[in-house]
Amino acid sequence: MIACTIPLIDVRGLAYTYLRGTPLETQALRSVDLHVYAGETVGIIGPTGSGKSTLLQHLNGLLKPQQGQVYVNGISLSDPHVDIRSIRQRIGLLFQNPEDQLFERYAGDDVAFGPRNLNLPADQVRERVRQVMEMVGLPFAYKDRLTAELSHGERRRLALAGVLALEPQVLVLDEPTAGLDPQGRRELLHILSQWRVKEGRAIVLASHNMEDIVELSTRVYVLVAGQIVLHGSLRDVFSHHDILTQNGLSVPIAMETMLMLRQRGYPVSINVLTAEEATREIKALLYV
Amino acid sequence: MSKVLEFELIGHVTIGQYLPTGSILHRLDPRAKLLMGLLLIGAVVVSHSLVGLTALLLAVLVGLVLACVPVPFALAGLRPMLPFLMLLALLQVFTIPQHAATATVLWRWSILTMTDRGLLAGILLIGRFSVMVLGLSLFSFSTTTTEFTHGLEHLLRPWQRFGLPAHELALIVNIAIHFLPILAEETERLMKAQASRGADFGRGQRNFIKRARKLLPLLVPLFLVSLQRAEHLIEAMEARCYVGGKGRTHLIHLQMQLSDYVALATALGLAAFAIQLSITHADQVLWHWIFMNR
Repeated sequence: MIACTIPLIDVRGLAYTYLRGTPLETQALRSVDLHVYAGETVGIIGPTGSGKSTLLQHLNGLLKPQQGQVYVNGISLSDPHVDIRSIRQRIGLLFQNPEDQLFERYAGDDVAFGPRNLNLPADQVRERVRQVMEMVGLPFAYKDRLTAELSHGERRRLALAGVLALEPQVLVLDEPTAGLDPQGRRELLHILSQWRVKEGRAIVLASHNMEDIVELSTRVYVLVAGQIVLHGSLRDVFSHHDILTQNGLSVPIAMETMLMLRQRGYPVSINVLTAEEATREIKALLYV
Repeated sequence: MSKVLEFELIGHVTIGQYLPTGSILHRLDPRAKLLMGLLLIGAVVVSHSLVGLTALLLAVLVGLVLACVPVPFALAGLRPMLPFLMLLALLQVFTIPQHAATATVLWRWSILTMTDRGLLAGILLIGRFSVMVLGLSLFSFSTTTTEFTHGLEHLLRPWQRFGLPAHELALIVNIAIHFLPILAEETERLMKAQASRGADFGRGQRNFIKRARKLLPLLVPLFLVSLQRAEHLIEAMEARCYVGGKGRTHLIHLQMQLSDYVALATALGLAAFAIQLSITHADQVLWHWIFMNR
């Protein structure tokens, strides 16, 4: 349905080595290909140290490709004349534990940091702050609260608002729900799926949490030791659950339950990703 | 090149890194290495003999080879300091003892005068810095921070009876060293996060106050994160009943071996040699001979 359009992000043969040319060099990425099209949410899963963060930092030009190419809307990031700030505006990157990056005294000022860096007039900055704060479920009146007095979940959402205020086309997230309580996690996932609805936008989501991946992603890449070992639609990737577990990754808890039932000889489908599907399978077992 | 390394803060500083090659130097007693380091610094500072400095430089290079460290890697650590060194050396050459009666003028251009003494001073300055930086790098390449603080504590222990808190001092040094790379990493991460929101850190901004203001998005979170980390550390230490150095025993007991004494004696000999040369002005004769017989 979205084939034959130009991808928003196109990564080709990307390789990256930290501390290149020293005895401490470590290869973080070796020949990675990845595409992100408008309208999709691309999940990236991989064990710790597999190069996820390094890959994400290439998407908005924080790191320059040593080998291979990264194109954003068809523009190569290796081009020395590229306006890197406009790329960073189009590809909004939210780091892990983003609440650490808040620095303004008042919550609203922190959200306004990005728009002000874009040199927007004051009324437009105000309008954007209002929009994104409401989008992440913080009342506009919170703009005058002290940043330090917000709860952990609120600060996380405030940091998200700070990136959304740039009005990016693609939102890149590194472990967005890590360290949140279940309530905070649900709220955040809801906000993200709402944000994506608008046409032409896309999300790239790197996570350990398979539940997050299942809930948001349409397509998944599996990164192991700097290489994509598996990619495809959500169901395709999780149908190779053996490859995932071999590489120290887990599968969604619903699927794990089905695998255990299968092992004990119950005739259930393995192709199960959510709690609802699992319930259906178990009910079918009980009431046959 | 500079653009590629925009956010890399620690990656290319070689001094202060540890290279686990397991060489003879790695296995030396940290106390011996500390004392050798002190001797080296002492000798480098005191000696103003070119031959002596060359001997010390050679000794450090031999040390690097013994430690199985690639010499070009160690030399790369000097590169960022070269511009400053050059500037300092130039200042030295043109300002230091030009008017000494014994000095020979080598070159003169309007108000600039280069004498043989000035040139010697400039060369010595570069030599001293190079030997010191390479020596300290060698120390850090071959000594883990734990070994270093252990050694430090052992060396300070005799002063405890005069009220010196040896254990606490060593602990402070240890924590400070451990936190440096962590803070550098944190800074790198924050710079990237703020750059993702369109920040630039005052590049090309001439006004000092404006430039400082642009650093606020970096400094404020960095302070907060450091305080948080310190608090976590305190909690972790108290949770394990840490009370300080009193009555504390050690897992590792340092024991000087024959090889340690040999290494120490070698260092002592070298240092004495370099200092002796500069006292007897042995190479001043050589120096004069070079310029007199042109």
